Amino acid sequence: MPAMMTTPKVDEARPTREMLLAMFRETASEVVEKNFGEVAESTVISELTIDSLGILEVIGSLERRLRIQIPDESLSNIRTVRDLLDEVERRIG
Amino acid sequence: MTVSPRHVAPTLVDAVRALAQDGLNAGERGFVFVRPDGTERLVAFRDMAALAARRGASLRALGLERGDRVALVIGDGEQFVLSLLAAQFAGLVPVPMFPQMSPKNVDAYHAAAAHIVRASGAAVVLTTEANRSFVAPIGEHVAVRRGVVAIEALGEGHGAVDERISPDDLALIQFTSGSTSSPKGVAVTHANLAANAEAFMIHGLRRDPAVDKGVSWLPLFHDMGLIGFVVGPLFTNVPCVLLPAASFVRAPSLWLEKIHRHRGTITYAPTFAYALVAKRLKDDDVASLDLTCLRVAGCGAEPIRARVLREFARRLAPSGFDARALLPSYGMAEATLAVTFMPLQSGMQTDPVDLGALGSGAATPLDGGVEVVDCGRAFPEHAIAIVDDDGRRLSDRRVGQIVFRGPSVTQGYYGQPELTSATFKAIAGDAPGDAPWLHTGDLGYTVGEHLFVCGRAKDLIIVRGRNYYPSDIEWAVGEGSKIRRGNVVAFSVAVDDRGRVVATPGGEEQLVLCCEGVAAEARAIQESVSATVADRFGLAVREVVVVPPATLPRTSSGKPRRRETRQLYLDGALSRTDRASTMDVASAEPSR
Repeated sequence: MPAMMTTPKVDEARPTREMLLAMFRETASEVVEKNFGEVAESTVISELTIDSLGILEVIGSLERRLRIQIPDESLSNIRTVRDLLDEVERRIG
Repeated sequence: MTVSPRHVAPTLVDAVRALAQDGLNAGERGFVFVRPDGTERLVAFRDMAALAARRGASLRALGLERGDRVALVIGDGEQFVLSLLAAQFAGLVPVPMFPQMSPKNVDAYHAAAAHIVRASGAAVVLTTEANRSFVAPIGEHVAVRRGVVAIEALGEGHGAVDERISPDDLALIQFTSGSTSSPKGVAVTHANLAANAEAFMIHGLRRDPAVDKGVSWLPLFHDMGLIGFVVGPLFTNVPCVLLPAASFVRAPSLWLEKIHRHRGTITYAPTFAYALVAKRLKDDDVASLDLTCLRVAGCGAEPIRARVLREFARRLAPSGFDARALLPSYGMAEATLAVTFMPLQSGMQTDPVDLGALGSGAATPLDGGVEVVDCGRAFPEHAIAIVDDDGRRLSDRRVGQIVFRGPSVTQGYYGQPELTSATFKAIAGDAPGDAPWLHTGDLGYTVGEHLFVCGRAKDLIIVRGRNYYPSDIEWAVGEGSKIRRGNVVAFSVAVDDRGRVVATPGGEEQLVLCCEGVAAEARAIQESVSATVADRFGLAVREVVVVPPATLPRTSSGKPRRRETRQLYLDGALSRTDRASTMDVASAEPSR
């Protein structure tokens, strides 16, 4: 990945689940400029007021912050925020 | 009108065969495919014909006959391009389809994809092993003669095809803006591809095979990515770097980074992408880029917003980006791709006009008026005209429907003769036997030879380059929420950078729904309608307006009137049960 895209750093070697959820809310708010404070792990992603490109932007931002990569094929199995965070945790290793 | 192309091969198959013979291609020239993990892979021009002929033989070995349609649901760029060419080499007709690439609307995907397979009568759905389990359910919605097949399972050892392909043969079916339940597949011949490739690559871009390099993240299943950065470059021997659309959306700076690293000279994108990049790019990113190489940054596919392109140019100036590279254009799948282009190196030009007069059909120049972007001129052998509702030509600065004629005009909608003759037809003054004009459904005016696009004649909603039909959205709301079908109207409004509704044509579009309901249920209606639209279309609704029962404007047959409802909304004149009626209409965008 090009150096110019990896500026934001995560200091913690392994973020906790709570931190990941907070990171999701924060990133979504950056992308759509709305408050996503009420988003929980059980939230269904389709029901968020983010369009399909917006959700990819959120995922891309998480990937950069955590220096991970979620393959496209995995995305079609993700329904809830929990599914996404599971996928993220798996990639962090 | 059959006009042979003068500077390119008569078919894409001939063009790809010629690439192998061109001395320029002895080395490592071709398409560089960037993978989602960032690695790159070159498919050399000199190898492409042989690869396509071999895979073409494997496709025919599935039991396919000449003329059979092959649906391509392939996310990987390299596999998509090779499969498309293989089908054409084998005399089959590729049908590019969108692969699911977001964890939204997964369920709606299979039904929509099945409609396209049915409409094209595809004999096989070709995909990759990685996507096969996801694509397979399409086969539960529609019968596919040879089933869903992964490329990896095609097998080797079938030799190579050697079919004679003629310019009048169908080259592909491009599914486009049709409604979900009745998708429209544009039938494109090899002659259409050749004519359009010559038009935009040679007359429009004056490409130089020794110098130019295209860089694109546009989806390859869509006309702008496929014709613009695969078909055009193959006809004219121009190398390209192709990145996945999903990679661009996840990391917008990747687009410019690849132009910088590969010294790209030509790129293209819809307005929303220029806005996204200008918004997301950090100053450090800009400082690390050298974009002096980029001579064409084209813009099309959705209404062009002057302010967005200006902001992009300003933001990227430190990288050496030259604002004269901006190239507004106009096109659509029914025209193969390109209809008009601005002349090279003229940058974006706008025409400030009186908004009030525009509404009544006149583009009257006005200092400080609404800016309409100049989309340039038609290509040699092609023509545009502006017509009124009776098909009579309008003079300069009169607003009417844009019509287009020439060898790039396609054969119409596959298997839909009535829709085709309603869209591809004569205008007043044509002689019998004259070629039909493509009626674009878009509104515009001319000044001299230049076209200015200022709206749409049909009620289409375009969000981030994707088309939605209001009838589809209304239908889904009627099915999936507390609202009865017939009591809901969907339309779009243009908004400015701060999210305020503007009267200016060509702003970013957002969806508004207007439903009938009682005050006590207003909140519940708003929630269920938003959730339904988000779920089915992956669209965020700007606002769900709830009005008292039986107050939407209706036709004599009881159907709600969309345009009238929209106007009432813009005027703040809807009686709302959800809240006091307040509208936030910003003043029209002033010119420079």
